[in-house]
Amino acid sequence: MTNGTEKSAAAGADASAASRARAEFARLISYIVFGLGSVYLSVRASALPTSRWEPLGAGSFPKLVFAVLAVLCLISAVRTVIDLRKTGHLSGLGAALAEWLKVRRFAFALFGLLVIYLGVLPYAGFSLATFVFLLITQLMIAGISKKTVIQSLIAALIFSVGLNLLFAEVFNVFLPRGVLFAG
Amino acid sequence: MLDAFLAGAHQVFAFDTLIYMLIGSVAGIVAAAIPGFTVTMAIILTLPLTFAMDPLQGVSVMLSVYVGGYTGGLISAALLGIPGTPSSVATTFDAYPMARGGEPGRALSLGVWSSFFGTIISTIILIVAAPPLALIAVKLGPWEYFSLIVFALTIVASLVGNSLMRGLIAGVIGLGLATVGPDPMMGRPRLTFDSDILMPGLPFLIVLIGIFAISQLMGEVEDDGKSETKGALIPDVIEFKTWAVMREVLMHPVNLIRSSLIGVFIGALPGAGGSIANLLAYDQAKRSSKTPEEFGKGTPDGVIASEAGNSATAGGGLIPMIALGIPGSAVDAILMAALMVHGISVGPRLIMDNADLAYGMFIAMIVASLMMLVVCVLSMRLFLRVTDIPKQFIVPTVMICCVIGAFALNNRVTDLYLLGAIGLVGYGLKSLDYPLAPLVLGVILGPIAETNLRRALMSDGDWTVFFTRPISAVLLAAALLSVIFSIRSVLKMRKKNRAVTDEQDGD
Repeated sequence: MTNGTEKSAAAGADASAASRARAEFARLISYIVFGLGSVYLSVRASALPTSRWEPLGAGSFPKLVFAVLAVLCLISAVRTVIDLRKTGHLSGLGAALAEWLKVRRFAFALFGLLVIYLGVLPYAGFSLATFVFLLITQLMIAGISKKTVIQSLIAALIFSVGLNLLFAEVFNVFLPRGVLFAG
Repeated sequence: MLDAFLAGAHQVFAFDTLIYMLIGSVAGIVAAAIPGFTVTMAIILTLPLTFAMDPLQGVSVMLSVYVGGYTGGLISAALLGIPGTPSSVATTFDAYPMARGGEPGRALSLGVWSSFFGTIISTIILIVAAPPLALIAVKLGPWEYFSLIVFALTIVASLVGNSLMRGLIAGVIGLGLATVGPDPMMGRPRLTFDSDILMPGLPFLIVLIGIFAISQLMGEVEDDGKSETKGALIPDVIEFKTWAVMREVLMHPVNLIRSSLIGVFIGALPGAGGSIANLLAYDQAKRSSKTPEEFGKGTPDGVIASEAGNSATAGGGLIPMIALGIPGSAVDAILMAALMVHGISVGPRLIMDNADLAYGMFIAMIVASLMMLVVCVLSMRLFLRVTDIPKQFIVPTVMICCVIGAFALNNRVTDLYLLGAIGLVGYGLKSLDYPLAPLVLGVILGPIAETNLRRALMSDGDWTVFFTRPISAVLLAAALLSVIFSIRSVLKMRKKNRAVTDEQDGD
């Protein structure tokens, strides 16, 4: 019994060490991406013409900031690589990534819908685009049943047409009007 | 001064302002009572509604959301054991056991009264401390200002999140984002890649909404396979015993004042907000208590300390914002941005140039805490229902509100594309455990830092001046020290962890 618990505890520790290593690996990638990006931007910034009126031109501050960022990323990346080599096991990256994406599928779906919504907004107008966006997202999160469809329809109507009226009439903030549908 | 005070009071006590503030209080409490929604989010959502108002009216409404929000987190913390906002984590330690022990009304009333007194104490300190600090601050030259911002950013990075390095990286990314668009001195376009979207720069509020709100909303719909555990049942009858509890809170003056002072101090430090004050005040109360073993089992001292601590950060955070133009937290940054939208420059001259506004904000803080008190006492039960609203209504609707907020700022559709892109970046950073607060403060402090740096070197091209002017040198040394200390504490923690694992392995 004790042996079993120990084994499972050891397996748990192993699994958590592995997942930590994978998280560190993901961060390592982010350090590299930010580091390379900042080197590029730093170079772009140094190409900005200097000013005759002051010692620092428009480019100096961004150059400084991105150089600092590059150094920070380099230090972090080196440290992470050392840590990873010490702790070793980086197994099952592909499976972990698939799991990571699976857990976040609704988050990315929500984001995808947001992107479509923002793209359609100037053409369809606030009320119509929002109504459709709300309806789809609500049903995506809640699942489709008779009850959720009715609830979502009501909520979507209130927060699309209703919000538009509220902002236009009370706060004098005019939301995008569509080309196809002026609402 | 009295003139300004009365002028401010006149604006705050206008009937429509009071009504808007009342709505703001309710909205803040409701928003914070929903687990997963922070005070910051509530303020972000309020922002577009205030564009059409006068500056003071708008800020007053936002302050009432702010004050209400710090209290709203208490409700779900006490009754469900889930902190409604990150700033009420320590509240769950004692308020929840007390509520489970058959005294939910007492737990809530204790929290509400402690929040009220915490806010009032912090506002008094704000009124006393901000004007003299501003008088000193106007004398600071660009060297000192630049060093102050460096200090602020290192403090933020070392206090927030789990890793100093990631905090610093986030802060510097924020500074970097702020450099996109026209440069703050000459207006020359930088790093815009000739794109129309980037040409006007990245507006601070768009970055803020994207980084905080969009990423948070995306995080809300993550599905980790665990079915949602329904919170504890809320009893049908709750006895609030309002006045008896008020006396009880006042019977713990030392704890109340100590916790509020901790809250004010933490709030005044850039980046550190209610979540740290809440835990720190609780910890201090436990250490100095005669009966520390009672903590965690539902002692009133624990509730008082945690709630007074987090509410007092509201006033504390306004001290550096009003006196120096440096926001103490993301929420203060939004308040600052709201003032800037109205064309008011925030900085040490705020108190001198717009005295009525500054004093009006002080009055609004007091009015807001009174409103919070009245609203809570009268309708606490109603707010409990809020925690039952399903996610599918909240997440998409709040997202729409974010989009409206981002659009209403400049009436530019391209801002919305930025919002989407920044939201995705924010979500990525959040998933990788980067703290987001330093990034946001970096974006708002970036232009201030750059302007001061360039001004400093324009008048005297010598870099060493930063180290030879005493205040500037002290601030830079403090920045270095804060980094060293936080590296040291990380190393210590690692050693300790290693020792613990070794011990466990040895067993």
